[in-house]
Amino acid sequence: MIPTDIAQTIIDPKAYAAQTPVDEAFKFLRREMPLDVAAPEGFDPFWVVTRHRDILEVERQSELFHNGDRSTVLANRTADQKVRAMMGGSPHLVRSLVQMDNPDHGYYRRLTQPYFMPQNIRKLEPRIREIAKSFVDRMAAKGGTCDFARDVAFLYPLHVIMEILGVPEADEPLMLKLTQELFGAGDSDMNREGKIATNEDEGLAAIMATVADFVAYFNKMTEDRRAHPRDDVASVIANGTVNGQPLGHFEAMSYYIIVASAGHDTTSNTTAGALWSLAENLGEFAKLKQNINGLLPSFIEESIRWVTPVKHFMRTATDDAEVAGRKIAKGDWLFLSYPSGNRDEEVFDDPFAFKVDRMPNKQIAFGYGAHVCLGQHLGRLEMRILWEELLPRLEGLELAGEPRRTEAAFVCGPKSLPIRFRMH
Amino acid sequence: MAYRTWQCENCGFLYEEEFGLPLEGISPGTRWEDIPDDFVCPTCGFAKSQFSMIEI
Ligand code: HEM
Ligand SMILES: [Zn+2]
Repeated sequence: MIPTDIAQTIIDPKAYAAQTPVDEAFKFLRREMPLDVAAPEGFDPFWVVTRHRDILEVERQSELFHNGDRSTVLANRTADQKVRAMMGGSPHLVRSLVQMDNPDHGYYRRLTQPYFMPQNIRKLEPRIREIAKSFVDRMAAKGGTCDFARDVAFLYPLHVIMEILGVPEADEPLMLKLTQELFGAGDSDMNREGKIATNEDEGLAAIMATVADFVAYFNKMTEDRRAHPRDDVASVIANGTVNGQPLGHFEAMSYYIIVASAGHDTTSNTTAGALWSLAENLGEFAKLKQNINGLLPSFIEESIRWVTPVKHFMRTATDDAEVAGRKIAKGDWLFLSYPSGNRDEEVFDDPFAFKVDRMPNKQIAFGYGAHVCLGQHLGRLEMRILWEELLPRLEGLELAGEPRRTEAAFVCGPKSLPIRFRMH
Repeated sequence: MAYRTWQCENCGFLYEEEFGLPLEGISPGTRWEDIPDDFVCPTCGFAKSQFSMIEI
C-alpha cells in the first residue's frame, strides 16, 4: 500500500501546480513501489501505474482494461455517487471517445480519424501559418514584454481548433472560458465561479452548468450544419452516421465537447512550457537557434515529454489480470501516470534535464493503444509552425516574473508566463 | 520496385520502406513483407495487420 502522504500528493492539484512534490513522489514510487495501491481518504482504492513499460502494457490491452466501466478521471466517492445519481447510474457526464470501449469506440473514432490523419492535416498548413504569423506579429508589437501563456500560447491553438471545428472567431472567448472551467475546476483563476467549490454539490453543479452551456451552443451548430454542411469537423459530426444511423444526440454533443476542449488546452500548455524551459536553459536556447530546422522535431518531442499536460487517465480491469507481477482483480481501477512514465529512468537518460536534441525520445504524453491521442499530428503541426515563425525572430529571452501553473491533477500547465524578449 | 509507405489505421503512424525504423532495429530499405508478423505500431501498439498501404 502506498504511504498516505505520497498518495495525497499525486492527487493534489496544488502539488501539480508546484510540480516538484509530484516529481519527487513519482521518483519514490518508480523506485520503491512502481505498481501499487493508493487509497487516499474519500477515494476508492486504485492502482498507481508509474513505469513507462507498465503504462504501455495496460493501454495496449484495451479489452482487458476498459475506459468506460468507471470514471475515466480520478473522482472521489462522493463526486462519483452524485454523478451516477444524476446520470442514471453511469459514472460519466459525457460519452465521448474517451468514455467508450469497443465496438462503439472503433465506430465513433473512424468517423473523424481520416480528418486528423497527417495527410489531411497537412492541407491546413498554409492557413495555420497565417494564424501563427499573426500571433507572432502581435507578440512583436508588445514591445519586449508579455505574458506568453495568456497572450500567445492559449489563444493560438484555440483559434486553430475552432476554425477546424467551425466555431466563429467571435465565440472563441466563450469556448476558452468553458474549457478552462472544465479542466481548471479546482483553480480559482479558471473555474466557473472564480472560487474553489467548498463542497461536492457546488463543484458538480458548476461542471454541470459548464456542460449545459456547451450543449446549448452545439445544439444550434448541429441544426445549422445539417441544413448547410461545410468543410469542417462540426459538419462531419452533425451529418455523420454510425452503423447507418445518425449519431445519438448525447454522443454527438460529447464529440463536439471533446474536440473543443482537448483540442487546444493541451497544445497551449505544451507551447508555454517549452518557452519557459528555453528561458531557463539559455544554453539549450542557443543550441536550438543555431540549427532551428534540424532540431525542431526533437525540440517538439522534448517539449511534449517535458510538459506532459495530461497528468492521468483511469482504466478499469474487465477480468483478473497480471501486470508487472502484481495481481489485478476484475473491477480494479488503475491510474496511469503519464508524467511519471515520461520521467522513467529506465527509458530516458537524465530524465529531469530538458534537452532540445534528445534522441531517442519515446515520450508517452499522447497515450498509447486504441485511445492514443486523435489530435497528435495536429498538435505537432501547430507547434512546428509557431516555432518556425517565432524562433528565427526571437533574440533575447528571459523570465520577467514568477511563472505559475494551473492547479489541476488532470490537465495542467503554465497559466501565466511573464517574459522579457527581443524580436526582429 | 519503388519504395512504399504504410500507415497505421489507428494513429496515422507511417512506415516508410525507404527509411526503415533504425531505432526499432529495422534497417532502411526493409520491405513491408519482410517485417516480422509480431511488429506493432511504435506509437499505439496496433498490429501489423492494421496497417494499410498509402500513396504519399
Ligand atoms: C500536445 C498536445 C496534446 C496532448 C499531450 C494530448 C494528450 C492526449 C492523451 C494523453 C489522450 C489519452 C490517450 C490514451 O488514453 O491513451 C488524448 C486523447 C485524445 N485527444 Fe489529445 N492531446 C493533445 C492534443 C490534442 C489535439 C490538438 C486534439 C484535437 C482534436 C486532441 C484530441 C483528442 C481526442 C479526441 C482524444 C480521445 C481519443 C480516444 O479516446 O480515442 N488532442 N490526448
Ligand atoms: Zn498506430
